[in-house]
Order: sequence, then structure tokens, then C-alpha cells
Amino acid sequence: MILPLWSGIMSALKTQADLAQTLPFAPPTTLVFDGFIASYNELIGPLFNSILFTSIATILSCLLGSICGFVVAKLKFRGSNTVFLLLTIGIFLPYQSIIIPLFITIRNLGIYDSLWVMVLVHTIYGIPMTTLLFRSYYESIPESLFKAAKVDGAGIMTIYQRIILPLSPLPFVVAGVFQFTSIWNDYLFALTLTNINFEPASFALSNIAGSTETAWNNVMAGSFLYSLPVIIIFVLLGKYLMQGLMAGAVKG
Amino acid sequence: MTNIRISNLVKKYGESNAVNNVDIDIKNSELFILLGPSGCGKTTTLLCIAGLIKPEEGEIWFDEQIVTSAEKNYYERPQDRNVAMVFQDYAIYPHMTVFKNIAFPLEIKNMDKKEIEKLVHSTAKSLGIEELLDRKPKQLSGGQRQRVALARAIVREPNAFLMDEPLSNLDAKLRIFARAELKKLHRRLGITTIYVTHDQIEAMSLGDRIAILNKGEIEQIDKPQTIFDLPKNLFVAGFIGSPPMNLIDGSVKEENGTVYFTTKKINYKVPSEFSIVKELKGKEIVLGIRPEDIKLSKNESDNSIKATIEIIELTGREFEVHLKVEEERIIALIRNIENFKINDVVNLIFDEEKLHFFNKETGENTYYESRK
Repeated sequence: MILPLWSGIMSALKTQADLAQTLPFAPPTTLVFDGFIASYNELIGPLFNSILFTSIATILSCLLGSICGFVVAKLKFRGSNTVFLLLTIGIFLPYQSIIIPLFITIRNLGIYDSLWVMVLVHTIYGIPMTTLLFRSYYESIPESLFKAAKVDGAGIMTIYQRIILPLSPLPFVVAGVFQFTSIWNDYLFALTLTNINFEPASFALSNIAGSTETAWNNVMAGSFLYSLPVIIIFVLLGKYLMQGLMAGAVKG
Repeated sequence: MTNIRISNLVKKYGESNAVNNVDIDIKNSELFILLGPSGCGKTTTLLCIAGLIKPEEGEIWFDEQIVTSAEKNYYERPQDRNVAMVFQDYAIYPHMTVFKNIAFPLEIKNMDKKEIEKLVHSTAKSLGIEELLDRKPKQLSGGQRQRVALARAIVREPNAFLMDEPLSNLDAKLRIFARAELKKLHRRLGITTIYVTHDQIEAMSLGDRIAILNKGEIEQIDKPQTIFDLPKNLFVAGFIGSPPMNLIDGSVKEENGTVYFTTKKINYKVPSEFSIVKELKGKEIVLGIRPEDIKLSKNESDNSIKATIEIIELTGREFEVHLKVEEERIIALIRNIENFKINDVVNLIFDEEKLHFFNKETGENTYYESRK
């Protein structure tokens, strides 16, 4: 895991000529930042786009997943299991199989190549996974808490806002990190649903490689810049992520 | 302060009836106990009263107001019934401080902030948890949590308290104190309380009246003393009391105008006040006698039964003597064991006023109606 990252960073700090003459994991003979500067100029706009739609879609899909998870876990209604099953089937639906009808739908909606198309598809595609995550977490909240709130006079909305939501920071972190990385890493939607108007970073990164000649130092520097936000997220939230993954039950 | 009437309550889970035709009339200010083994439908009944589950049949009334009617498909929402519930695991909101927990039902009612503060403080004070108000549930002991749950219930001045085994998560010593506290609290507030438990000692010591449930049906509703002294049927006789009542299978025989209860080995003359059992001649009957109503004697006397001592156990102040009469096993509770040892053959003398005779087929206590 370290070696590719190391080789990538080393290559990013080399000149074109240096790259050709040294092994990928050897340190640069002369330290240059040309690769970083070039890729930064190429990527800064798309990176901003990606951060924007990834954040919005992450927040939305977590929020909706939390609501759906609450509904299927705690409000047992006729057919709630079927609803849950149908929801989770979405996880197993490959992107590739729906990409053409999706493209046509998006074009007809008139949001092709915009921020909103990326927010929309990623939010919707995220809901099954986040629902699954939140549901299993909410299942572990004792039923009596829910009953107590009901008897105390709270309606469904109040219970969600005042009991369920405040108990959910951990699943929000887990689902959030999971969603952020998977949306951030998406290439297929970026490729098919956007163009030059709203270019996501994953798509822009592939363009750095160029079609005739590949400046590997630029590509490697770009890759590093591209992975930076995800690394930052992991560093900031890793502690909570581990807690969240291990939390089996809410203990009073 | 509400009178709660339950009629013909039926709740099904799948094919089986968790609650079957339950009729209870709980009086105003009463501390009413639902007692039974696990799975007898006592908690289900409680949840129906709270409105948390919908029964398939039956009605529930709070005073003159109907709150549940399966026939009319009318179910008042739990939040509109103004009942307070205390759960076995206390169900304290883990993310809120004690203050917030107690204030929660009042905040939902949109009560004035100052008013809430006043009420929470006075309630907390009355339960001795005022200094805990800023703590989170995590920092509380089991007993303290239980008080917080109680405070949250009391603060609303509800129509009724519904308690689902509120003491069973406490350790044995604390439970005795908490029980007394609960009793005092009930006396002070005078709010109708329905209390679910599987612990018969808790039921006996707390309840004004007890309903004994078994397999979703009510076996007996009476005052604790009556339940102990005059069990309505074999189930109650075997369920209440520790060790439980001795139940001996046999039949009735009449000889020269005297009625006898007989088994293979026992030929017990039925006291004249129980002579009605002769009507059960030819049927199987069960003689019941509580362990504490049996005396042991070295000397044979009129109507005594010979038995062999198998085991003697010390249970604190008393000795539990396990005896064998042919294949019947009988337990006697006696204070003084000095004269007896294992394998001794002794004479059992039953307290004639404390005898019970059950019809084995129906399970009914033959004297329940006439002695009640």
C-alpha cells in the first residue's frame, strides 16, 4: 500500500527526464514542483466542483438514509420489510446497467452537465447503502426508548429529531466517510453525465494523461492532489470511524 | 386518578393469543399488579393500556372515556392518553442530562420554561436525585437511573402509571428498598398504578390487588392475602408461595358416613367442613397444603400421615424438610428441627383449616366461591 503512494509522490517531484532515467520509487535527483503546479492549474476548478457535489450528496444521502433507516427499523408497518428489501436491492444494481436510461432521463430533465445532476444521482445511489447502515444501528437502540418517548407524548417527528438524531453521530460518521469516498472516487457518472461545463475532478484527472503523450509527473501529482481530500477526511474522522464500526449497541 | 376498565381484550401474535379475553376493572388510585410467568401476556396487556400496541378485540376505558376499541377500530394515540410508563431497562434517553430527561415530557407539552424548571426540581427533590440533575445517565447507578425513570413519570401528573418490571434490574438488596419507596410514593400520590412483575414477593408486598395471568388468561384477581390463602385453582396454588403448595393427587371415598381423601398409601379423613368434596366422588381430586401448614411429629395421632424425611435444608430462619410418602414428595417448613434427622419416619399433621381441595379436571378450588 505504501509503495505505490511513495512511488507516486516521488514521480510527482521529478522532471520528465528524471522520470525516464530512474526507477519509480527512487528519490528525485533534482526536486521540482512542476508536476504539482501544472496539475494544480488543471485540477483546481474540477476539485472544487467535486468537493461541492460530494459534500452535498454525502450530507443528503446520509440524512435521507437516516430517515429511511429509522422508518424501516422502528416504524413497523405492513410491508416495511418489503420496502427495505426493495431499497437495498439498489446496492446490487451495477451503475453500468442503468447508465444509458439514466443518461436519457437526465438529458430530458435538463440538468445534464451541472452540479445538480451529480448531487442527484449520487444522493439517490447512496440511499440504499446509508439506509442499510442506519437501520442496523437503529435496530440496536432499545425499543423501550422509542416506546417511552411515545408515551411521553412525542410524535414520530419529535422522536426522530430529539431522540434518534442526537443518538446518531457515529453512524453519520461511518456512512458519511463511506459515502464521501465512494462518491469522490466515482468515474463513470462523471464521464457520462458531465462535460466541460461542470467537470468533476476524477474526470479531469484522466484528461491530464492526454491522448498522445503522458507527462507522468503531472499525472502523479494530480493523483496525489485528488486523493488529498479523502486522506484528510480519514485522518480527521478515523477515530470516530473505528468507534462507529465497532459500536454494536447504544449503552445508556 | 383514573379508573381503568379492560373488557374482553384479545391480542394475537400470529396464530396464538398472547392475551385472551382479559377482563379487569382497576379502581381509582389502586396499585394493581399483573403477575405471571414469562410469556403470560402481562406486558402485552400493559402495552395495550398504554396504546403502544393494538389489540384484535376488546375495549379499554379510562373512566368514562373509551381509549381503545377494536370493534370501532378506535385507538387513542399513546401520547394522548396521559399515562406514564416506567420500563424494565428504565429507557432513559442516554444523550440527555437527568434534568432534560425529566423535563422531556413537559417540553413536549410546550410548558413554560420556568414552570418546567420548578417542577423538575421539586420532583427530583422528592426522589432524592436533585444533585444528579446535571449528570448524564451513563454516570448513574442502577438505582439512580430507576429514580430518574420514576421522576420522568411522576413529573407529568399522569392519569395512570404503567410499570413494566421496574425493579427487576436492581440487585436484591436495593430492590427491597426500592419496593418500599414505590409503595410510599404510591400512597403519597394516589395515582392509579398498573404494575407488571413475575416476582410474587414483589406482587404480594406491593399490590392492593393482584391479577394472576397464565397463557394470556386471567386465573385469579384478588387481594394478595386472598390469593395466598384461597387460590382459585391449581395454577395459582402451584404458582404462589415459595416453596409452592404441596399438591397431592388422589380421590374421594366415603365410608360409614366419613369422607376420606385417598391415594395408594394415604387415607386421610377429610374434616367435616370440607365434606362437600364427597360430591366429587369418583373424580380425581387434588389435595393442597402449604409447607408452612404441615407439622411433624414423632407420635402417631388421629389422621396423621406417615412419611420419611429425605432431605433437610436450612433456608435462613426455617428448615425446608423434604418428605416422601410412597411416591409423593411433600415439603414442610418448620422452625425447629432438633428432634428429626434424615431417614426418620415421622407423622405429618395437616392444619385442617388450611386445606384445599381441587377438582383435577377443571383445576378449580372446590371451596373458592363459598369461602370468598
